[in-house]
Amino acid sequence: MADRGTIGTTVILLILGWASAIMLAPTTPASASELVIYSGRKESAIKPVVDLFERKAGVKVVLKIGKTSGLANEILQERQRPRADIFIATEAGVCEVLAREGALDSYAPARARSIPSEYKSSKGFWTGISGRARVILYNTGLVKDEEVPSSVLDLADPKWNGKIAIAGTLERTTLSWLGALVHVLGEAKAKAYIDGLLRNGLKILPDNSDVWRGVGSGEFALGLTNSPNYHLALKAGLPVGVVYPDQGPSGMGSLVNPNAVAIVKGARHLVLARRFVDFILSQEAQAILVRHAFEIPLVSGMDAGEVRPLSSFKSLKISQERLADLEERAIRLFPGF
Amino acid sequence: MAKGNMERAASGETFVFRRPTIGVLTPVAALGAAFIILLTASPLLNLFVAALAAGSRGLSSLLSGSVPTLLAKTLLLATLATLWALLLGVPPAWILTRTDLPGRRLFRVLGLLPLAIPPYIGALTYITLLGPVGPVNKAYQAMGGSGQLVNIYGLWGGVLVLGLFTYPYILLLAGSALESSNPAMEEAARAAGHGPMGIFVRVTLPLLRPSLLAGSLLVFLYALSDFAAVSFLRVTTFTTEIYHQLNTRFDQRGAAALSAVLVLLTLLVLVAQRKSLGRRSFVQRRSGAKPPTVYPLGRWKVPALICTYLVLGGSVFLPIALLLYQAGSAATIFQTLASGHRYLWNSLWTAAVAATVATVLALFVAYLIDRRKGPVGLLLTAATQLGYAIPGTVLGLSLILLYNTYVPWIYGTAAMVVLGYLLRYLPQAVQGSAAALSQVDPNLEEAARGLGRSGWQALREVTIPLIRPGMTAGWMLVFISSIKELAATLLLRPAGFDTLPVRIWIATIEVDFAVAASTSLILIVTTALPLFLIKRLDSGISQLD
Repeated sequence: MADRGTIGTTVILLILGWASAIMLAPTTPASASELVIYSGRKESAIKPVVDLFERKAGVKVVLKIGKTSGLANEILQERQRPRADIFIATEAGVCEVLAREGALDSYAPARARSIPSEYKSSKGFWTGISGRARVILYNTGLVKDEEVPSSVLDLADPKWNGKIAIAGTLERTTLSWLGALVHVLGEAKAKAYIDGLLRNGLKILPDNSDVWRGVGSGEFALGLTNSPNYHLALKAGLPVGVVYPDQGPSGMGSLVNPNAVAIVKGARHLVLARRFVDFILSQEAQAILVRHAFEIPLVSGMDAGEVRPLSSFKSLKISQERLADLEERAIRLFPGF
Repeated sequence: MAKGNMERAASGETFVFRRPTIGVLTPVAALGAAFIILLTASPLLNLFVAALAAGSRGLSSLLSGSVPTLLAKTLLLATLATLWALLLGVPPAWILTRTDLPGRRLFRVLGLLPLAIPPYIGALTYITLLGPVGPVNKAYQAMGGSGQLVNIYGLWGGVLVLGLFTYPYILLLAGSALESSNPAMEEAARAAGHGPMGIFVRVTLPLLRPSLLAGSLLVFLYALSDFAAVSFLRVTTFTTEIYHQLNTRFDQRGAAALSAVLVLLTLLVLVAQRKSLGRRSFVQRRSGAKPPTVYPLGRWKVPALICTYLVLGGSVFLPIALLLYQAGSAATIFQTLASGHRYLWNSLWTAAVAATVATVLALFVAYLIDRRKGPVGLLLTAATQLGYAIPGTVLGLSLILLYNTYVPWIYGTAAMVVLGYLLRYLPQAVQGSAAALSQVDPNLEEAARGLGRSGWQALREVTIPLIRPGMTAGWMLVFISSIKELAATLLLRPAGFDTLPVRIWIATIEVDFAVAASTSLILIVTTALPLFLIKRLDSGISQLD
C-alpha cells in the first residue's frame, strides 16, 4: 500500500488551496487609522452620518451593519482581541448587557449633559443618540377615532379579541416594555395583565416590521410597537393612526427606548472613537439621524420635525439599569419567543 | 449535473462483494487527517465544552420547560417536510427519466432551479400570496367567505415551503439513479408478468432506496437547521429557540447546550442511515451502454405534463414571477447590479473557493474512509458530517471565538466567510465523493500500479475520472448552498464585506422591496448559471463514454 505519494500530494494540494484561499482574501484588516463601527442601526440611517464623519475627520471608517443582538454576541466573543471600536445599538438594554459583561469602555461626552438620565448610562458606558416611544398603532379603516384605546391597560377588552399584534421578545423594545410593566404594576399584576392579553388572542409576531405592516394591511386592528413605525407606515401609504398611550394624570406614560452608542473596551482607536461619539451627538449628525428615521431627539435644542418631541408627551421614567435587573422576569411573562 | 454515481452503488448493476483494504496510516495521511479533524472538529468541541460549562443550569433548562415539546415539533416539521419533498421529487424523477414526456430534458434542468432559490425567499413569496391579506384570502373574502381560506403561518406553511424548495435534492439523486440503473432487472420483472406499477414498486423503488435516503437526509437535516424561512412563517422550532437564547438572553452556553442536542440528533439520523443501507459495501461494474426502458405515456401525457408544470410552477415560476413584479422594471435590476457588482463578485468567489476546497478535502476524506477502515475513518466521518446540524449563527459565534483567539491573522478576513461555508457544507461534498468512491473497485487502482503507475498517477488516471461526476455533484451542492448562506456570513464577514444574501437581508430591513427582489433575482441567476453549465458539460462527458 505505498500510496504515500497519492496522499502526500493531496495533503499538499489542500494546504495550498487553503493558503491561497486566505491570500486571495481581498480585504485588508483595519489599519491604524481606520475606525471600525458595528452598527445595528439601518444602513440608510447611519451611513450618511459615517460619511460625513469621514469627510470631517479625514479618516476612513469601516462599517459593519448587522442585527444589534448578533453584533453584541460578536463583541462578547471578540473580547480577548476586540475588533470593533464603536457599537451602535437599536436598544440600550443590549449595551447594559455588554457593560455588565465588561465589554464596554466608559466615556461621558460633553454634549450628553442635556440628555435626561434615563437615556444614558450612569457610569458612562453608553449614551442615547435618539429615542423611540412605545405607541399603539391602529388601522384607520378598522378602528374609528373615538374607539381608539387611550391606555395599554384597555387592550384586554374582549372587543379587541384576536385583533392586536406585538413583536416577540426577540425585539428588545418589547422586552423593555415588559420590564417597564413589571416595574410599574409589580410582577403579579403585570403577569395578570399579559395573561389577559394572551387570553384575548394577542398575536406575537417575529418582529416590529411584521407588526406595522400587519396593522397597515388590515391583518390586525391594533399594534403595540415603536413610534417610528407609524411614520414608516404613513410613508408607505398605509391607513394608520397612532396613540401615545397612558397620558392621563395618573397614567404611567409611554416608555421611550433609546438607541445608543458605546465604545468597545480595548478599542484600538480610542481617541478616534471618542471623537465619533462627540460627532454623533452634534447638531449636524443628529439632524441626519432624526430626519432619516423618524426618531425622537434626546439632546436638547434639536428640531424634531414631524416627530413628536420628548417634551410633548408624558414618558415612563425608568433607568436601563433597573430594566436590566427586571429582564429575567420580563422574559418569563412571554411564552415562546 | 452529475450522473448520480453517488447512488449507483446500490441502484446499479452487478454487485461484487469487496474485501475492505486495511492499510497502515502513513505519516503524511495522518498529518492530513489530523489537519481536517482539527479544522472540522474544533467548533464541535468548542460547542460541547460550552454546553458542559452551562452545567446544571443548562441541563435543567434542557429538561424543563418547552424544550421537549419543541424537539417533538421540530422533528414533526422535518419529517413532514421530508415526506412532502419525496412526494414532490419522486414522481417527476420517474416521469422525467423513464417516459417520453415532451421537453423532459429541459424539465430536468428546470427542476433543479428551486435549489437556486433560498427558502427564505420562497417563504416570503408564499406569505405574500397566501398570507392573511394576500390575494387568495382576499378573493375568498370577496366571494363571501369569512375568515381565512388558507393560513400560511404555522407548521403546515413551514412544511409547504421547506418541501417546495428542497425537493430537488431528491429529484437530483433519484433521477440520476433511475437513469443509470440496469434495465435487465426491470425486464426480468416484466417477463414475470408485472405491469409498470408493479415493476416500480417491486424493482425500481427498492433499488432507489440509497438515493432516496441520501436525498431525504439532506432535506431532513436542512429542515432541522433552517432558521430564516421558519421564522418568517412563524413556526417555533429548536433553531428559533436557540436563536432566542442567544439574542434575548445572550446566553451563549444555553445556546451551545441546545445546539449539542441538534448535533446528537444528527448523529442518530446518520447512524440510522448507515444501518438502513446495511454494512455491505458494493462495487458496481458498468455493464453495456443499454439505456433504461422508456415507457410511452400515451393518454397519460397531459396529466403528467400538468403534474410537472404544477411542481415547477409552485417552486420556480411563481417565486420568480413575484420577484420580477416586486423588482418593478429591468432598469431596477440593472441598477442594482451596477451598484452592487462587488457583492456579486464576493458571493461568487467565496462560494467557488469553498466548493473547491470542500471537494479536495472531501476526496481525501472519502479516500481515507473508504480505503482505511478503522478509528481514523470513523472520526473523520463524524467530524465532517456533524457540522451540518449546527445552526449557522451558533457555528459563526463559535468560529469567532476560536479564530480570533488562536489564529487572529485569519479572523477579520474574508477567509472566515469561506471557512463558515466550508464547515457547514463539507458534508455534502463528502457524501458525494464517498458514495462515488465506494463504487470504484480498488483493484483497478492496484492494477494501474502493477502496470508501473505511481500512487498519484493511479489516482489521477483511474480513480478521479471514475468518480468525477460524484465530485462535480458535490462541488455544485456546496457552491449552491454556500452562495445562499446568510446566518454565519452575517457574523463572520469582515466589516465592509457584504455578499448577495447579506444585501438582500439589508434591503429587507430597509423595507426596500424593489432592491431586495432585484438582488434576489441576481442571486438566483448567478446560482442557476453554473447549474446549467455543469449539466451541459456533464451530458457531454457522458456521451463521450
